[in-house]
Amino acid sequence: MSLAIAGMGWVTPLGSGVDSVWERLLYGDEASATTISEEFNDRSYNVFRVPESVLKGAAHPRLRRASAISRFAAAAGLDALNAAGLKLDSQNVERTALIFAISNGGVIYTKRFYRDIVNEGAQSASPLLFPETVFNAPASHLAAILGISGATYTLVGDGAVGLLAIKMAEDLMANEALDHCLVVGTEEIDWLLCDAYQRWRLLCRAPPIEPFGKHKRGMILSEGAGAILLARLPRRSAAEAGEGSFTIECAHPGGYFSRRAEAEETLKRILRDLDQGEIDLVIASANGTFVDQAECGALRAVVPNAFVYTAKPALGESVGAAGLWQIILAAQALRSAELPPVLHAGSAVSLRLPLSRTPIARARHAIVLSCGLNQQAAGLRLAIR
Amino acid sequence: MAQSSNPNEKKVSARVAVVAAGVVSPLGVGLTETVDSLRKARDCVTRVTRFSVAQCRCKTAGQVPDDRLLAGKEEGRRGHRLHRASHMMIQAFKEVLTQEPQFKPELTVIGTTSGGMSYGEHYYRSLRRAEELRHAPTWIANYPAQKPVIDAEEAVGISAPCQVIANACASGTNAIGHAFECVRSGRYRRILAGGYDAVSEMVFVGFDSLQASTPEKCRPFDRHRTGMVLGEGAAILALENLELAQERGAPVLAEIIGYGISTDNFHITQPNPSGVGPRQAMERALQSAQVSANEVDYINAHGTATVFNDAAEGKAISGLFNGVPVSSTKSMMGHSLGAAGAVEAIFCLLALQHQFLPSNINFTASDDDLDLNIVANETRPTVLRIVLSNSFGFGGTNASILMRSFKA
Repeated sequence: MSLAIAGMGWVTPLGSGVDSVWERLLYGDEASATTISEEFNDRSYNVFRVPESVLKGAAHPRLRRASAISRFAAAAGLDALNAAGLKLDSQNVERTALIFAISNGGVIYTKRFYRDIVNEGAQSASPLLFPETVFNAPASHLAAILGISGATYTLVGDGAVGLLAIKMAEDLMANEALDHCLVVGTEEIDWLLCDAYQRWRLLCRAPPIEPFGKHKRGMILSEGAGAILLARLPRRSAAEAGEGSFTIECAHPGGYFSRRAEAEETLKRILRDLDQGEIDLVIASANGTFVDQAECGALRAVVPNAFVYTAKPALGESVGAAGLWQIILAAQALRSAELPPVLHAGSAVSLRLPLSRTPIARARHAIVLSCGLNQQAAGLRLAIR
Repeated sequence: MAQSSNPNEKKVSARVAVVAAGVVSPLGVGLTETVDSLRKARDCVTRVTRFSVAQCRCKTAGQVPDDRLLAGKEEGRRGHRLHRASHMMIQAFKEVLTQEPQFKPELTVIGTTSGGMSYGEHYYRSLRRAEELRHAPTWIANYPAQKPVIDAEEAVGISAPCQVIANACASGTNAIGHAFECVRSGRYRRILAGGYDAVSEMVFVGFDSLQASTPEKCRPFDRHRTGMVLGEGAAILALENLELAQERGAPVLAEIIGYGISTDNFHITQPNPSGVGPRQAMERALQSAQVSANEVDYINAHGTATVFNDAAEGKAISGLFNGVPVSSTKSMMGHSLGAAGAVEAIFCLLALQHQFLPSNINFTASDDDLDLNIVANETRPTVLRIVLSNSFGFGGTNASILMRSFKA
């Protein structure tokens, strides 16, 4: 089953709005790093944060006590609906599902809630904070804002979870009771996450992220959200969809790898399943970690002639939001027929990386590939008509 | 790829069989122990020993004894590092694959609320105390919600992609319901579905802070109910296209015939007092199964024993059904959150197989405001054909599934 992308919303460290963030990427802009400090020692980390100005005007009573992760998600989700010109009313709200992709969840409130317990005992635990620690809190806020009363799901996983959420949407929309599915991926930053990824040797101390480099320097964490409104194609073939429209031709169910050394084989399997001999570009998840080597090997083996782009040097690793960001990048690349430069990549990399702004005039098919940091991998194939 | 991706695929409405099941809960490890505990209406709620509850109102939970989990632990260092949620999942998976070694799932759909939360707690406490953090990489690696699923798949030698649903306390039922729809649509042939959660300090204190948990006995739907107790467990059901299951001679334990999901946007922790969300979920499940409310023989209620939840669910049930027997098996083992829907689906399966009504224990007096036929304190033999299981959660998420006994 093919699904159309009807609208997209994007909240990133380079600002919000699909066209405006895309323009900045085309110009080779990258997010500015800010420093975040640990609570218990003098250690600090560089991160890419969403500018505060981005969320101005995004107030809603339901978000009064909500954490950043819910605000990012609401802003991106509402943008995607606006971009599609879809107003949810009593007629179509019943036929719209909501799926959230989450990785670390509301880590800021979760840590604060547990900190109170550890510091002052269970009696000081806040009943206001606890509900915000639950993985599906962001989804419940957006469902309430939109009035969605049907299917709402929160999917949890690693960086691949965004693509798995699209797969779930594809499965859900096999049910003809649904016309639309809004898929939102979201993430917020806290020093606790930085510490955790640092202990796992996946973080670099300072930018840049060097994708596909010889030395796995590591990644910079970032935050934000991406949202995609999927629509059932009318009762006609995908090929008859309107000129310039995007279809998700195939979302792969994904897979897992037991050890990092096995990631490449899992990615190859996914690429082979998705490749139909006409892949023009791949939006990869390379982020300066072990992921790069696995992706490089798989891409060289399966789609050696495709352009390969990763935005992580510019936008950072946003984990739960990353998959949705990658799909937005693929759609924008196909729509604008050009690719932004891959920043900070070595010229010796044996992949077809656009090291400067590169036209891709005849590109019609893209693969979005995601290798997560916690054993999951996924992919999908996207086309422009 | 495993599942069909033919864009011209015909709309299929396959029947969905449960061909195997595995469960670990305070009621027992495995189906045999579980059915025995259900029949005896055992109270398996005990004092919490894993962390301090000195400052909490509630002191008890339904817990899987450590020595039962240790018995299932894998040999060697790797097994020692796994979270207890992984051990519960491994045991549940092993039980399923022991019954049906030929079952090759194309997808695994699992519900949870907390993943490896207690490892996150260890990590934070150690950081704060500037203690030895030698084990931190292990805690971090075993914290993610998908890890117990992958551990269990590896332990039984399967490699299906996994989807982990975190829809709060409805997660387990959502996982089974979504898997059911995937098989029914013809897009998948075989799916493992279920849920897991292990009791952790943070979640325990969280419910205590909301004053949702009780210092007394858990008495769902009772006039004197004062709140819930937490539980833990893991449960897995092997779902298969019925026709294919019969072709290969697999035993059909029961059918899943309907699924309903709804979201009521009333409040992040409280249900709409009208019961509209639960009612919609049950109505949608009935509609999905194309059966009438009169055909339902038993309801395994969400029944947390909080004043508001039981009132809303009771109102929804009495508004839709006419005197159907109802029980909340959380009275026996507490609320196992993301596992609850899956564990309770297995209780329904056992009830169908052995033809009895599971009991709602600790029941002392009917609530005048609830018009319900409660299966009070004792298991009852009966004739069961169709049963309904409810799960509702934070964020206003509601899910119901319908199961039917199978006769070839």
